[in-house]
Amino acid sequence: MKIDCVCTSWYASVRTLRPDSLMEANNDVALDIIITNVVSVFRTRCHLNLRTIALEGSNVIYKPEVGKVLMKLRKPRITASIWSSGKIICTGATSEEEAKLGARRLARCLQKLGFKVKFTAFKVVNVLAVCTMPFHIHLIQFTKNNRPIASYEPELHPAASYRIKNLKATVQVFSTGSITVTGPNVRHVAMAVEQIYPLLFECKSTMR
Amino acid sequence: MPGLNIVRGRCGDPLPKVQCPNHPDALLVEDYRAGDMICPECGLVVGDRVIDVGSEWRTFSNEKATKDPSRVGDAQNPLLNGGDLTTMISKGTGAASFDEFGNSKYQNRRTMSSSDRAMLNAFKEISTMADRINLPRNIIDRTNNLFKQVYEQKSLKGRSNDAIASACLYIACRQEGVPRTFKEICAVSRISKKEIGRCFKLILKALETSVDLITTGDFMSRFCSNLGLPKQVQMAATYIARKAVELDLVPGRSPISVAAAAIYMASQASAEKKTQKEIGDIAGVADVTIRQSYRLIYPRAADLFPPDFKFDTPVDKLPAL
Repeated sequence: MKIDCVCTSWYASVRTLRPDSLMEANNDVALDIIITNVVSVFRTRCHLNLRTIALEGSNVIYKPEVGKVLMKLRKPRITASIWSSGKIICTGATSEEEAKLGARRLARCLQKLGFKVKFTAFKVVNVLAVCTMPFHIHLIQFTKNNRPIASYEPELHPAASYRIKNLKATVQVFSTGSITVTGPNVRHVAMAVEQIYPLLFECKSTMR
Repeated sequence: MPGLNIVRGRCGDPLPKVQCPNHPDALLVEDYRAGDMICPECGLVVGDRVIDVGSEWRTFSNEKATKDPSRVGDAQNPLLNGGDLTTMISKGTGAASFDEFGNSKYQNRRTMSSSDRAMLNAFKEISTMADRINLPRNIIDRTNNLFKQVYEQKSLKGRSNDAIASACLYIACRQEGVPRTFKEICAVSRISKKEIGRCFKLILKALETSVDLITTGDFMSRFCSNLGLPKQVQMAATYIARKAVELDLVPGRSPISVAAAAIYMASQASAEKKTQKEIGDIAGVADVTIRQSYRLIYPRAADLFPPDFKFDTPVDKLPAL
């Protein structure tokens, strides 16, 4: 059972774009941005013996061919890939705080197994969020309007992908109006949504 | 020589420049058969005994005599190869070219242009692939150019050359306005669709170009002729597909699937009915996909047909799947 919690709710003020260039009163639209995945990395400053973890840890899967151990935590629902060098990648958290909490809990688990673990260099690497627009989107028009930045290959993937260079975020736009945003942290993701909303509003499809 | 005026160049060296003495500005016409340079204004023969640069022997394609007396090789491809002018020693024919044991004296032809060997290989591969789907020369040239640009950039160096070649072929077809589906390129290449798709995106990023979006009309003529459908049906299918996209009845569907469904609808309404399986085979779409897209356009079938279409099966009798 996947827990999807609505973590942030942003009010985006949108000016309706009209050719007579009269600025209408601000329409306030509430868009719920749901963060589904936060990926973070941290380091324990010591070498970890994967065999020991695999034998004595609970809820672990050992993958010797790759050289890592997967440990799943229940409380913040997190899956961590543990490498023998001490680098750990945590995926599955639903917010940045939860990611930090889960990482700390994981480090505590490893400490209990007997390793001299030091919790250092925690960094959130990737945040994936989904958002639904209240309208459907005409993808072909959207791609034409944003020619080099947006790319749409219907044979390969049904979504148009829009890369925002300065935010290092990628937005995938589907024709039903749902979008998925991936970015380096939650703030960038929110800014990406704000940036892309007017572009999507221009290309909304009235045929529903 | 009568027409030779010596014009002093900037550095003082004499630059021999052939001009007509009466008309120094006239561009001289070359008569290659007689070997003359003639002034067009007055007809004075200015240059004499000009060397003929035409070919020494005329070669005919039907005569494949063992000896080709031409002393020059193939036309160079300077745009693509960087012009190597090496000399190679071929295998000897007389008795003197073999030493005691029967081995030829001059053993291996030295490897020519080892730096471009991979590129030449790729060009050969591109030519083979294009030949399988009968692509014209201009697309092959464009593909070669793209490959050369990508190869020189070295940003995709780790990828298999065949994958890059296939992706270049796909891009070239798109750029010429006659796109081929990824599946069609897969059919003539040993690379998977996924890998070709990846290389395609990487090449677009590396060369900083973009391509136009595919439309349903690009594939109609090919699919319909492969199915043997008459022109009327093809035109009807083109109209149906275009109308369906305009009315946004099929959001998020690949244009190929929409085209296949349109062909199905048009053929079912005409005298030549094709099954979904046949259309799926030609277009490279699964027949369930055709069924899905067909379900989306079926409700508005009456609006989608062109106004002057002759129905063999009326609209309400069309199969509803």
